[in-house]
Amino acid sequence: MAQNTVAAPAQTKPKKQKPSQFSGMSKALVRRETISAYLFLLPSLIFFVSFVVVPMFICVVYSFLEYDLSGVRGFAGLDNYIKLFQDPVFHRGFLNTVLIVVVAVPTVAAFSLWVSSAIYKMHPLPRSFFRCVFYLPVVTGSVAITVVWKWILHPYYGLLNQVAGTGTFDWLGNQHTAIWFIILILFTTSIGQPIVLYVAALGNVDQSLVEAAQVDGATKLQVFWKIKWPQIMPTTLYVLVITTINSFQCFALIQLLTKGGPLNSTMTIMYQVYDTAYRLNDLGYANAIGVVLAIIIAIFSAVQFKLAKTE
Amino acid sequence: MNMKKPLALLLAAGMTLGLAACGGTQGSTESPAAGGETGGSNTGSTVELSLWAFNIGGFTEASNWDSLIAAFNEANPGINVTVTPINYQDGDQKLTTAISSNNAPDIIFEGPERIVGNYARNGLMVDLGDLWTSGGSDIAEGISSVSQLDGTYYMYPLSVAAHCMAINYEAFEAAGALQYLDEENRTWTTDNFVKAMEAVRDAIADGTIAVKVPGIIYCGAQGGDQGTRALVNNLYSDYYVNEDGTSYLANSENNVKALTLLQDMVNNGSMSANASFAAADELQAFANQTAAVTFCWNYSNYTQYAEQTQFTPFAMAFPSDDGVPELEMAGPYGFGIFDNGDEAKIEAAKKFIQFVCDDQTAGVEAVKTTGFFPVHSSWGDVYAGAEDAELRAPFALMSDYLGRYYNLTGGWTEQRALWWPMLAAIMTTGADVQTEADNFVQQANANIG
Repeated sequence: MAQNTVAAPAQTKPKKQKPSQFSGMSKALVRRETISAYLFLLPSLIFFVSFVVVPMFICVVYSFLEYDLSGVRGFAGLDNYIKLFQDPVFHRGFLNTVLIVVVAVPTVAAFSLWVSSAIYKMHPLPRSFFRCVFYLPVVTGSVAITVVWKWILHPYYGLLNQVAGTGTFDWLGNQHTAIWFIILILFTTSIGQPIVLYVAALGNVDQSLVEAAQVDGATKLQVFWKIKWPQIMPTTLYVLVITTINSFQCFALIQLLTKGGPLNSTMTIMYQVYDTAYRLNDLGYANAIGVVLAIIIAIFSAVQFKLAKTE
Repeated sequence: MNMKKPLALLLAAGMTLGLAACGGTQGSTESPAAGGETGGSNTGSTVELSLWAFNIGGFTEASNWDSLIAAFNEANPGINVTVTPINYQDGDQKLTTAISSNNAPDIIFEGPERIVGNYARNGLMVDLGDLWTSGGSDIAEGISSVSQLDGTYYMYPLSVAAHCMAINYEAFEAAGALQYLDEENRTWTTDNFVKAMEAVRDAIADGTIAVKVPGIIYCGAQGGDQGTRALVNNLYSDYYVNEDGTSYLANSENNVKALTLLQDMVNNGSMSANASFAAADELQAFANQTAAVTFCWNYSNYTQYAEQTQFTPFAMAFPSDDGVPELEMAGPYGFGIFDNGDEAKIEAAKKFIQFVCDDQTAGVEAVKTTGFFPVHSSWGDVYAGAEDAELRAPFALMSDYLGRYYNLTGGWTEQRALWWPMLAAIMTTGADVQTEADNFVQQANANIG
């Protein structure tokens, strides 16, 4: 067995050294292992650099340019960013985006955890059934989902108006209700993956600790908070980050259902990027909005990581 | 057994080959503007052209280009045209992406709003003056004027029609509303329009007719906004833009009066307004008898919805206070050439356009496929003797009511993004008409140039 600590000199306090996976290997072997590892990483790295890092860099560069259909017209300096902070559509988009994130993320996480807690101990057959049911909207195309929701919410022959007896109320055409239906539909399409992850995470909780706590008289709530919750924290963190990013980048639902309307009530930063680039052809400004969106997502994710680590 | 070394070698070799292959592609001599999905290139003596065609009339079915292209190839064996169908939902996105990545198609089939007002204004199109010189002598002044920008022709037209509206004839008949129409001339006055819609509303209320609403003012997206523009402008005989193109006119006295009238009609139930509806939704509602009228009608839409309609869609001009409508031009639809810097391709593209638009055999076939009417006055009635000639007659009549073409006004793209939110605010939230119209004009005029 490899020696993981270095013998301490006499009369000095033994110094702990982090064990290395390469301990005990010859330098040549370590070099070969390292080269192999990098070679295996290379395809992903090339893909990542080509399709993520380089476009991100180009996006930042374009955000400082006056750039439209006829090409780059000149250097815009900070004009696109100044315009952004003076743009009422961006303000509305920012508030809507934050609303979607603040409502959808905790709701998705809490609901997924609740459903998972209820089904993870079930017999494999019903458990698979529930996982499948909740995962179905994830694998169903956005277009199919929005067609169904459009039918449900149609003002003249929609299911909701018929069931609720609300006449010909235009749920997606009303500036007070449209955003809530976007959040609801986003919720239904977002819970599938967290449920599958939570079922797996809860199944991996150390049962000996749970049983020991129960023997010591811990309540169900105490078992959950003191034993299970810390053990599923990495999954929770992953769910929060992924759901946050998905919520920030909610686009297809808005494009297919409301196009940011009515009266910008469902406008989000992500949709504004598209709208500015492809309808108004103001590519420089669209890139500036994209850069700001990336910064906002990075800040949110960093805060979530920080909070999760603290906890 | 240590498999890492051979695996790593295999991987490295694979990647080297892959990179070499990629490098080979980059090193080709293809024009930077061509290639990619557009497939445009010069291969030997054959010139490859890419045509991106919007879904206009029968050309919605991309295979309808086949016979035209086959006939063209027979006459011009050295030119190969590849058609990529695009639609009004995501066509602009695809074109913007292609243009900004130097992959613009060689030819585009659309109307002057995009070809002239957008792409030519951005310096992306080729001068087509020579096509006009050789074949445009019998094209009306109104059409030639919208095909050019600052005296240079950027579009060569094929066919034209007028946007109009339509009513559900049987529903109007049952509601006793036909008395308010001039059926022969397909016109009605604003007063009669109001009375007709109220009659339909009352017939819905007492169960005489099965439609759900008299009509829908759609304001959920910009698609089909020509319908709501024409409705508002005609009600009290005003215009969308002033004559010299220096200001939008939504806040003029007559247009505000028209918007107020429509708002009142929404409030009293003789009209409905939906901020979640685009023109396609409204057309669908008309086709399935949810609404008794549509404000987005032409022969192309008629053929598209013909199989669904279980009633007679009766084309009508938009109502106006004096009974003399001024309709928006549908099209003229035609071709433009993106300046990809390849003279051989530009010349080949011009040959193709000339063939489709000026060759009387191919041109008539192309016009008939669009479902509209030829821009060449010398071609006469191309539908004479056709089975559906009677069905087309009302749409030919609408051409007599064509009004001023204002779709090339500066800031057109930007103002389109403002029009439907203004309608939504007025029609669905009860906002003050004058305030909203003033806001619209202020913002629209900011981009008029």
